[in-house]
Amino acid sequence: METPAIPVPEARSAIPASLRGILPVLVALPVLALFQWLMSDAPFASYLLSVVGVNIILAVSLNIVNGMTGQFSIGHAGFMAVGAYIAGVMSLNLKDVALSFLPVAASDQVFFVASLLVGGLAAALCGFLVGLPSLRLRGDYLAIVTLGFGEIIRVVVQNTDAFGRALGLSGIPQTSTPAMVYFWVFLTVLVARRITGSSHGRSLWAIREDEVAAEAMGVDTTGYKVRAFVISSFFAGIAGGLFAHFVPIINPGSFTFVKSMEIVVMVVLGGLGSTTGAIVAATFLTLLPEGLRSLFSVLGAEGSLAQRVDQIRMPVYGLLLVVLMLARPQGLFGTKELWDVLPRWIPRKRKGLA
Amino acid sequence: MSALVQETKAEAGAPMLQADGVSIQFGGLKALTDFNLTVRQGDLLGLIGPNGAGKSTAFNVLTGVYQPTQGEVRVAGQRVNGWLPHQINHLGLARTFQNIRLFRALTALDNVKVACRAQGALHPEGVGLGTKVKGAFVNYRDWWRALLLTPRFQHEERELTQQAEHLLEVMGLSHRRDEEARNLPYGEQRRLEIARALGTQPKVLLLDEPAAGMNTREKADLMVLIRKLRDDFKLGVLVIEHDMKLVMGICEFITVLDHGETIARGAPAQVRSDRKVIEAYLGDSYLESHGGAA
Repeated sequence: METPAIPVPEARSAIPASLRGILPVLVALPVLALFQWLMSDAPFASYLLSVVGVNIILAVSLNIVNGMTGQFSIGHAGFMAVGAYIAGVMSLNLKDVALSFLPVAASDQVFFVASLLVGGLAAALCGFLVGLPSLRLRGDYLAIVTLGFGEIIRVVVQNTDAFGRALGLSGIPQTSTPAMVYFWVFLTVLVARRITGSSHGRSLWAIREDEVAAEAMGVDTTGYKVRAFVISSFFAGIAGGLFAHFVPIINPGSFTFVKSMEIVVMVVLGGLGSTTGAIVAATFLTLLPEGLRSLFSVLGAEGSLAQRVDQIRMPVYGLLLVVLMLARPQGLFGTKELWDVLPRWIPRKRKGLA
Repeated sequence: MSALVQETKAEAGAPMLQADGVSIQFGGLKALTDFNLTVRQGDLLGLIGPNGAGKSTAFNVLTGVYQPTQGEVRVAGQRVNGWLPHQINHLGLARTFQNIRLFRALTALDNVKVACRAQGALHPEGVGLGTKVKGAFVNYRDWWRALLLTPRFQHEERELTQQAEHLLEVMGLSHRRDEEARNLPYGEQRRLEIARALGTQPKVLLLDEPAAGMNTREKADLMVLIRKLRDDFKLGVLVIEHDMKLVMGICEFITVLDHGETIARGAPAQVRSDRKVIEAYLGDSYLESHGGAA
C-alpha cells in the first residue's frame, strides 16, 4: 500500500510530548501528600476511604476485562485473596526486619510496597494460568472457570496453616495509609485510561464488539484477552495486598463469591466499559451501607436496623441490579466517561476512544 | 513441489494466495472438494455459485477460520495450514464479511485504526510455542510504551490516525470519521468494512458479497471502486458475488462452485455458456426447454 506522503503532524498540545507521560504523576504526588496530611488525624475516615479506594481499584481493574474486553469474569475476589494472603504472609514474616539506613517508618513502607508487588505479581501469575486455557474459548467458559478459581482459592486458604485457615491472618503490620491506597487507585485508573487511548485498548474494544472480525483484522484475540486478564488480576492482587495492611484481620470470609459479585455489580452499575463509571459506582456502593448505618443511628434505631445493614446489603444489590437492567441496561454511563455525560458547560473531548 | 514454489516466488507475478486441492469435511458433509485457486497481484477473480455451494466456506478455509481436511493453503508462499486467522492476516490476506461485521460501537476512524495497528506491531510468524512466547514479550514492550505514553508511542498513534484518515478518504467516508459504525447507512458500512480490511495492508483482498443489498447505481460505483483499489493498492482481489452482472463485469477469471465442487473455471464469457453452470443456476428443466447451452 502506498503510504500517504503527508508528514505526520506534531501534537497540537501545549504540553511537550516527553512530559505528557509523566505529568499525571507529577500532579498526583503533591495531591496525595496533601491528602495524607489531611487524613492523619481521622482514623475512621482513613479506614473508610481506604475501603473505598480498594473497591475502586477492584472495580476499575475488573472493568478492563468485563467492560472493555467484553469477557465475563466473576472470580475477582479470588485474585484479591491471592494478593492479600501473599502480601500479608510476606509482611508478617518481615515484620521485624528493617533497613538500617532508613528511618523505621520509611523502611516499613519499602517492605510494604515490596509485599504489595509480590502479591500483585502472584495474582497476575494466577490470572495468566487461569486465563490462558479459558480465554482461548469464546463465551461463558471464563465465567465458569473464574467462579471455580475463586472458590478453590478460598478452600485452599481455609485449609492451609500458613494462611491461618478459617481463623485468618492477624498481626499483619498496619502499614497502609490512605495516600498509599490512593496512589494505587491513581495508578490503576491511569493504566486503564492509557490502555483505552491506545491501540491495545482499541483491540480490546474490537474483541468486545466482534471477536471473529477482530481476529480477521489481525488482532491476536487470545493474546489480548490474556494480557487484559493478567493486568486486571495484577491490580486485584494489589487491592488485596492493600486491604490486608489496614484491616486488623483477613480471613477467607472476606473473599467469597459474594465479594466477587459485589465488584461485578459495581462495574455493571457504572456501565460496562466506563472507567469513571466504575469509580463512581464503587464509591457509591461502598459508602451506601455506611450512609444507611449512620442514617439509622441518627433515627435512633441503633440496635436493630443499623446492625442489619450488612445483612440487607446483598438483597439491595440484587434489587438495584434488577432495576438497573430494566431502566438502564447499559449502566450509569454506558461506555462513556464522566466528562462525556456531564452538561455542556464543561468542554468535551472529541468523540472517540482516544 | 517446493522447488516449483520457490521458483515461482521469485517471479514478478508470484502467487500471493494459493489453494491446492483443498477439501473440507464437516462430519459426513463435504463442504468443499478439491478446491484450487491462485491469486496474484493485479488479479481480479470471481467466486460464484448457487446458495450453499461452499463459497463462504472457501473464504473461511483461506482465512484460517476453518482448517482444511485435505490439501494446503499458501499465503505469500508460506504454508498456513493450522495458522490462526490473525496470523494469516499478517501475511497479507484481508477480508470483508457477507453479513457486515463492523465494530459497531466504535467510530469509523477507530474501526480502521484497529486494523492499522495490528499490522504495525511486530508479529513473529508460525504456530510453535516458542514464537508465541516471543510474541508475548514483543507485545509487552509495546504495552509499556502505551502505558508510559512515550513520545514514540504518541508519534505512532498520530501516524495510525493519519493512515486511517487516508483510508477513510479513499473510501469516501471522511465525513463519517467520528460517527459510530452502527449509525452509518448500509452502503457506507460496506465501504467502511473495505477500508478496515485495507488498514491491515493486505496483498490479497477477499470480498464476500460486497454488493449485497446495494441498488444498481451503488453497484456500478462499487465496480469502479474495486478496480481502482486493485490498481492503487496493488492488490489481488477475490470476490464472492451473487450478482452475475457485477461478477461478469469486473472479474477476469471466474471459479464456479456447486455442492462444494468446482464445476467450471475460466473467463466470464466461457463460464456463462458452460452447460454445468447453467444447470446449477437454472436447473436441468431450463436446459431441456431451451435445448442445450445458451
